[in-house]
Amino acid sequence: MRTYLALARLAVQRQFTYRAATLAGLLTNFFFGLLRAAVIVALYGQRSTVAGMDVQQAVTYTGISQAGIAFLSLFSWFEIIHSVNSGQVGADLLKPMSFFGFWMAQDLGQALVNLLLRGVTIMVFYALYFGVSTPSAPAAWLALAVCLLLAWLISFAWRFLINLSAFWTPNAIGLCRLFYGASWIMSGFFMPLRFLPEWFQAICRLTPFPHMINTPVEIYLGLVDGPAALELLLHQAAWALALIAAGQVALHAGVRKLVIQGG
Amino acid sequence: MAYTLELYRRLIAIRIRAQMQYRSAFLADVFTTAVLNGASFFSLALVLQRFDGIKGWSLWEVALLFGTVDSAFGMMDMIFSGFDPDTFGQRVRMGDFDRMLLRPVPVELQVFSAEFLLRRLGRILEGGAILLLAMANLPVEWNAWRVGLIALAYVSQVAFFGGLFMIGAAITFWTVESIEAINVLTYGGQELNSFPYEIYNRYLVYIFTYLIPGIFINYYPVLTVLGKPDPFGMPWFAPYLAPVVGLGMLALGNAFWRFGLRHYQSTGT
Repeated sequence: MRTYLALARLAVQRQFTYRAATLAGLLTNFFFGLLRAAVIVALYGQRSTVAGMDVQQAVTYTGISQAGIAFLSLFSWFEIIHSVNSGQVGADLLKPMSFFGFWMAQDLGQALVNLLLRGVTIMVFYALYFGVSTPSAPAAWLALAVCLLLAWLISFAWRFLINLSAFWTPNAIGLCRLFYGASWIMSGFFMPLRFLPEWFQAICRLTPFPHMINTPVEIYLGLVDGPAALELLLHQAAWALALIAAGQVALHAGVRKLVIQGG
Repeated sequence: MAYTLELYRRLIAIRIRAQMQYRSAFLADVFTTAVLNGASFFSLALVLQRFDGIKGWSLWEVALLFGTVDSAFGMMDMIFSGFDPDTFGQRVRMGDFDRMLLRPVPVELQVFSAEFLLRRLGRILEGGAILLLAMANLPVEWNAWRVGLIALAYVSQVAFFGGLFMIGAAITFWTVESIEAINVLTYGGQELNSFPYEIYNRYLVYIFTYLIPGIFINYYPVLTVLGKPDPFGMPWFAPYLAPVVGLGMLALGNAFWRFGLRHYQSTGT
């Protein structure tokens, strides 16, 4: 256990050193958030509420969306693939610790730092510039915390799983790009899923992606009542478990198939 | 000059052949990019339909904006792949760029031909498809002038974003950390130009009219082609400023690149 904590701590320290990049990243987040908010506000026009969201909530949504990018490594994460391509994975697999745990501890450290430095900061910018909605009751904050933890877990387990494709194919990066792309569209990153037709939402619900962005948004904005929120959290937990299990199975199968390049 | 062009042509041909070696991976990449970008436009289209357009612009009018800048950006990205600040910064850091400086061939030629990402074709084609669909679905008479204006806008955008890429690459001579700022202008600029400027707040519009004249490379040509009223009261020649802005940015990029090159001190690897 201590080893994993140490790994997480190292990851935290590592992420902290990229201060300039973090600042620049925040600039990017804010600019894109500004653009998306402008689009949303223009879309609303004279309407006060659409699909149960008012304008301020929709604008807040664009902030949460941006906040999620670094926290969930939403755009891309190819660390394991790189380690397979370089041969480093051989050494990693020989370590006296769980391969999954090895990566998870590091990702957790990195995610926590990004949640704070980029996620919270963006929301503060938004609060100052736009004014944002915030969860009302303490129970809502607790639900949000659990939701974020599960969202991260789903994101990590998913990224771990698809990175393992490197064990089978040299085109892993290309394949994973497809998956990452699908996840942006279906997570509610571009537009709240509520704005999209029911058939589209139904397709998205077949995947774990909505639980990365859309679910935290719904819980944060209080768009779902108590029992429904609990149900969402349970769905998240179920997906997380399923993805972790799938990762374990893939890892076991993959290790046997592994072809180490480089070294 | 002819020699340089011939060399460029040959080097690019090598890049293309290399990428075609893994043909299935290449096709998959092109397909993936096209599908993904297309899908995100598709979900935007669904939303636009639900909201009945945006600030008086219908779905297909927005699609004209969106498709043009999407495809043009992809084209720029393919041609200027070597100058992509992210990958170029790596080259500088690893000392690869120093190697280029030592060769008896113009360094710009080498940077241009260092990368030529054919897979950007996915985006070029997808954006192009949206553009063509928009043209087909708009109640506009597509005469030579209108088509020419769109083509002019397209080329201007390639030049504009190419110049930005060159500036970004030059910045990596000094620091690799702050490239995000340029990414705001390139990727952000592309996103910004995908929508009508009416939706942006005053200050943003001022910045992108007078500081970084992005408003002229896509919005004004499209506005004019569609015959929509000008909410900003620009002079009649506004859409024709597109090539001026595009070439201007390219020239600026080139100047900054030369400046950076002159003052470049290696990483010392």
